[in-house]
Amino acid sequence: MSATETNAATGTVEIDLALVEELTKREGAALDEKHARSLSYREEAKSHLPGGVSSSWQTWPPHPIYVDRGEGSKVWDIDGNEYVDYHNGYGVMVMGHAHPKIVEAVRDRVAKGTHFAQPTEDALPVAEQLAERTGLPYWRFGNSGTEATLDVVRIMRASTGRDLIVKIEGTYHGHHDALMVSVFPPESDAGPRERPHSVPQSAGLIPGTLESVVCVPFNDLQLAREVFAEHEGKIAGMIVEPVMTNCGVVLPDDGYLQGLKDLCHANGAMFAYDEVKTGFTVARGGAIEAFGVAPDLVAFAKALGAGLPCGAIGGTAEAMAGVISGEIEQVGTFNGNPLTMAVAKVNLTEVLTKRAYERLDELNMILHRCEDVISRYRLPASMKTLGAKGSIDWSTTPIHEYRDLWKIDDRVPQLAWLWQLNRGVFKSPGSKWESWTTSIVMSDADADRYVENFESFASAITQ
Amino acid sequence: MASQVEFDLDLIDSLIEREEATLEPTRRASIAYRATADRFVAGGVASSWQDSPPHAIFIDRGEGNRIWDIDQNEYIDFHLGYGAMVVGHAHPKIVEAIQRQAALGTHFAQPTKHLDVIGENLAERFRLPLWRFCNSGTEATLEAGRLMRANTGRDVLVKIEGTYHGHHDSLMFSVAPDPADMGPREHPNTVAQAMGIPQAFADLVRVVPFNDLDAARRVFAENDGTIAGMIVEPAMMNCGVILPEPGYLQGLKDLCHANGAYLAYDEVKTGATLAYGGASEVFGVTPDIICLAKAIGGGTPCGAIGATRELYQPIVDGTYDMAGTFNGNPLTMAASQAALLEVLVPDAYEGFNRIDKAMKDGLTSVIEKTGLPAYVSGVGAKGSVIYSTTPVREYRDVVGIDERISYLAWLFQQNRGVFKSPWTKQETWTLSVWHTEDDAARYVENFEEFATAVTA
Repeated sequence: MSATETNAATGTVEIDLALVEELTKREGAALDEKHARSLSYREEAKSHLPGGVSSSWQTWPPHPIYVDRGEGSKVWDIDGNEYVDYHNGYGVMVMGHAHPKIVEAVRDRVAKGTHFAQPTEDALPVAEQLAERTGLPYWRFGNSGTEATLDVVRIMRASTGRDLIVKIEGTYHGHHDALMVSVFPPESDAGPRERPHSVPQSAGLIPGTLESVVCVPFNDLQLAREVFAEHEGKIAGMIVEPVMTNCGVVLPDDGYLQGLKDLCHANGAMFAYDEVKTGFTVARGGAIEAFGVAPDLVAFAKALGAGLPCGAIGGTAEAMAGVISGEIEQVGTFNGNPLTMAVAKVNLTEVLTKRAYERLDELNMILHRCEDVISRYRLPASMKTLGAKGSIDWSTTPIHEYRDLWKIDDRVPQLAWLWQLNRGVFKSPGSKWESWTTSIVMSDADADRYVENFESFASAITQ
Repeated sequence: MASQVEFDLDLIDSLIEREEATLEPTRRASIAYRATADRFVAGGVASSWQDSPPHAIFIDRGEGNRIWDIDQNEYIDFHLGYGAMVVGHAHPKIVEAIQRQAALGTHFAQPTKHLDVIGENLAERFRLPLWRFCNSGTEATLEAGRLMRANTGRDVLVKIEGTYHGHHDSLMFSVAPDPADMGPREHPNTVAQAMGIPQAFADLVRVVPFNDLDAARRVFAENDGTIAGMIVEPAMMNCGVILPEPGYLQGLKDLCHANGAYLAYDEVKTGATLAYGGASEVFGVTPDIICLAKAIGGGTPCGAIGATRELYQPIVDGTYDMAGTFNGNPLTMAASQAALLEVLVPDAYEGFNRIDKAMKDGLTSVIEKTGLPAYVSGVGAKGSVIYSTTPVREYRDVVGIDERISYLAWLFQQNRGVFKSPWTKQETWTLSVWHTEDDAARYVENFEEFATAVTA
């Protein structure tokens, strides 16, 4: 290999962005050729679906890819292309597609009825599993991560009688109004790092939303302390992703989570985790197990339901007291839907077992060969994995908080995504920072494929 | 026809006591299970509204028009999961669709080919061209509020007093306000339905009584240029079934448009139940936005938002996102496709109308015979007995009706093999495609026992 330039300070190559653009054009054209059916279907779908899709995040450039079916570690699109699935439906399918035990659970329950809006017996074993995995005793269910974090915010405000919520700059907690703030704030709007502005992520938010949220950078306990001091007696609670997962995989510094918990409690506020993405993926007991700090409230969704719309909130006896007494109504027609519960039960008791998580570690051993590629090609990149989650960050210094991403040029991870897609690996689209989700049914060959593609990519961009 | 009688609440109390005593020994497994579930499930149930008096009833299974609880009591199901199961339980076509899709994968967070088929069907039924999908009625009305605010750049939403539009922050106001809090009828207070909603959000919602176009006109005049839109259930479904008066919906639509605002229907309960094209078809007025959920998913968690091309333009442009990991979930879409295209076909609605007539005729004749101060109101798969002698037009007309009456009616049915929706202040029911004239007869027969007992 012959890199044109080298960064003297880091010893890494300078990525030639003109080359990246040329390669992106080539890879985009190659992709179009394979996706004739997806491209034409999108035009048909546009007649009744805005953008031809059901969620705006299903239509990333260059075009949405319509999926036909999945089995185990693989998915096939409607053009018949086969992929090893590292997207896994934005981190939901850590158990793999159409897992025989899940298929059987669906078959059994569907024949007995899927919805009564009355309690059924499967909610209890699911709650018991969640309690055992997290140490939090009390659970309720909903239909999405959005509903789960909505309930968490409601409980924090109702329990404290306060309005302000503290969140981390650059994290997504669902699309309800309360937390649609500073999810991906552009540098031009974000304000000073010490006191980030609350930036609306969407038009049409309830006015007053921005004033009821205070943002702080991840991994900075001192700034969190300052914010609590400035808003003394007004903060209902703080919600964090214990591992930031929208910026690659950003781990919490030692002591950070415990520090936040202590800070919240010292100020009469509640401390909540959004484990929608980390739950059942980074470890059997999610980030609570991985980092050993339990919050007052936690939101789960995604992997819990093995591919069915799902959500759950858990909490300590104290945090859930209002819900238990009925003073705080936590409700929904589909909450605890029998089909979702039957599947979640089998998922937690028979599929996502302790052994399953060992398999994720084995896969990571293979995937970490990407680090050899990074060092051999002197790429300005670093790699992190935790359980099923992993990312290659296009930065020579570790990503520590959201603002560290601003220096990364989007074009590099976009090309990395296209490169994998054209070579049989489906990563999450829109993941500018190359995050993936592995599944417990992946083979060594599936992991090898990722590393091989990454190496050919490394070779191409350092030509 | 008997002369009208007044409710004797002492008699009702004693009958409640009797019926609760009858119920308890046959619900032992549910009562015991509830106590066990308390250990890990907050309050023993997955949603606060599943823990209804006298105690939560745990369901084992369902088939067609029947459900069985974990004590193995069999019921004809008029609850139907708060109106979601008009396809009936474990409908063979839904079972087949779900089983087939489960084997093909249930979730990709990528679009699949169900979307366009369902979008086309909904466009045909509801006469709105563009659709997006989500996971609940709550998510659907959340998106509706945001669509209206984003498209107008205005802040204020108008809603009807006494309607429920899901549990998100923007519309969880004046759902069932206490008479002490609700303020004057001309200017109802915006009353938070739950703790934990900042007052700033309440300040942006105006509340008006249903079926009063002048009141709506007044609110628009008083908030000139600040109203983004109005959301209504075209027929109110939380107070029995309250129908819109002729001209009301068209009047609201004209009023909204004259003021540069949008009109949204919450058809979570009425969509695909009142008629093939929901309340929009029945009352002949198509709004700018329709929110659907419940019945369209065939028993899977679902939601949909239909709107005009104009309203959806910012989404098409990508100016703002309407997103969700599970939106358009393939399993939900497969069940929904079977429900909409194979089960809830035009013939199904002829069936609902036939059973609805049997229900109304039977119940009305009982009311006449016993002199019960009540009347019957319903359309298609939805109906109710309203315990009032004067027609109920809005929420304030029902607040004075004593809840014990409908609770006793519920107990009577529950003890006699009919499962009605709990909590219902007014006797609402939902029919499925499996319900027969015999089922209607059973309901009427139980109702006659109730009516006879309370008018004795």
